[in-house]
Amino acid sequence: METIDISYLSLGIGLLLLLIPLFYIWKFKTGLLHATVIGTVRMIVQLFFIGVYLNYLFLWDNPWINFLWVIVMIFVASQTALARTQLKRKILLLPISAGFLCSVVCVGLFFIGIVLQIEKVFSARYFIPIFGILMGNMLSSNVIALNAYYSGLKREQQLYRYLLGNGATRAEAQAPFIRQAIIKAFSPLIANISVMGLVAFPGTMIGQILGGSSPNVAIKYQMMIMVITFTASMLSLMITISLAYRKSFDAYGKLLSVMVEKKEHK
Amino acid sequence: MPMLQIENAGIAYGNNVLFSGFNLLLNKGEIVSISGPSGCGKTSLLNAILGFVPLKEGRIILNGILLNKESVDKVRKQIAWIPQELALPLEWVRDMVQLPFGLKANRSTPFSESRLFACFEDLGLERELYDKRVNEISGGQRQRMMIAVASMIGKPLIIVDEPTSALDSGSSEKVISFFRKQAEKGSAVLTVSHDKRFADGCDRHIIMM
Repeated sequence: METIDISYLSLGIGLLLLLIPLFYIWKFKTGLLHATVIGTVRMIVQLFFIGVYLNYLFLWDNPWINFLWVIVMIFVASQTALARTQLKRKILLLPISAGFLCSVVCVGLFFIGIVLQIEKVFSARYFIPIFGILMGNMLSSNVIALNAYYSGLKREQQLYRYLLGNGATRAEAQAPFIRQAIIKAFSPLIANISVMGLVAFPGTMIGQILGGSSPNVAIKYQMMIMVITFTASMLSLMITISLAYRKSFDAYGKLLSVMVEKKEHK
Repeated sequence: MPMLQIENAGIAYGNNVLFSGFNLLLNKGEIVSISGPSGCGKTSLLNAILGFVPLKEGRIILNGILLNKESVDKVRKQIAWIPQELALPLEWVRDMVQLPFGLKANRSTPFSESRLFACFEDLGLERELYDKRVNEISGGQRQRMMIAVASMIGKPLIIVDEPTSALDSGSSEKVISFFRKQAEKGSAVLTVSHDKRFADGCDRHIIMM
């Protein structure tokens, strides 16, 4: 079975569908029109570029270049996380980069090497898409979780201090905030898992079926994709929070100023 | 050995000196109340004992342990603390009162409803409050519940910021009698209070200027 290509004209016609959400975004004065247009243009440009360089990555199929590509992805993801969480660079940059790197390498190579049992684990055809899907999921869940964690600590200072002041270890005092961060970041994923195949037909599965795989193969890949994204996202969050601890709190356990201070406009 | 020893302590926020040269000796079984005008540093002093506010000068020794970066966790394990206007983000009273009992430091004194209800009785609280939502109880009831909890975790030092601020005079007297019971068991109690009647019931009353 062959994949049906989409011509550029058809793609252009398909993109016209966006006029419907754009109309409502404009009609209800949501203030999101500009961001949506810019976001869509960025998506189109970025995906065209990805198409070009993925072709080259697959052509070269060099483990070093593939790994360099992962490093670039981690750098971009870390910068994006910094921008979206508004946390200070010196607090988050190294921990989140380390969190992404450790998780994506451990979980990604486990899947490729042990589950798929592919000899060339750095083969671009598997390495790049698997690491890419892990990075995307880790980024979105980490941003939600870190926002929840630090905003919770700031908002509920009294709870944090009450626990510390009554003999809690640093880990015990942070636990309610980590709990909230996990609930906020992973509830949508857990809800998604439970309706998978009934309400939602996930991207990987559809992609594989459209690409000619049998549904039996597609569901197994989909299961594993859910498992590895879940695991890698949780692992990277825990690594990030642990590594960010030393720069987020002083020696007495007090929360330091972690957010980038906004400059006031006169 | 005194339970709490504060020597020549001073606190300043930048150039704003709250107080300096403060000394206090608090013994086992003693109840001390501190009062003074707003902004003179009473709450900051309590926070300094807990390691939340750094001293500009002087030192704090708790149960023989000098408070510093290395010992702060050990010091906090000796304290039961209730901050001013404590409002924890919990829905149910039972979760609020059980919260400190889940900590490793307090595992030697497990939570028991019968002990809690005995404290409730001493403090003039009804048992039914235990099954309510936190937003269904008054500030004064919450204050007394947390005093009950602080006493139950069995620490050598109990620190309470404004224990009777939301209480009528009858309830204040119950609180002072309750603290007296804890002191008889060997705990030392340090409070900050603007309530003169409460302060008069303590062993010592220190006025900060």
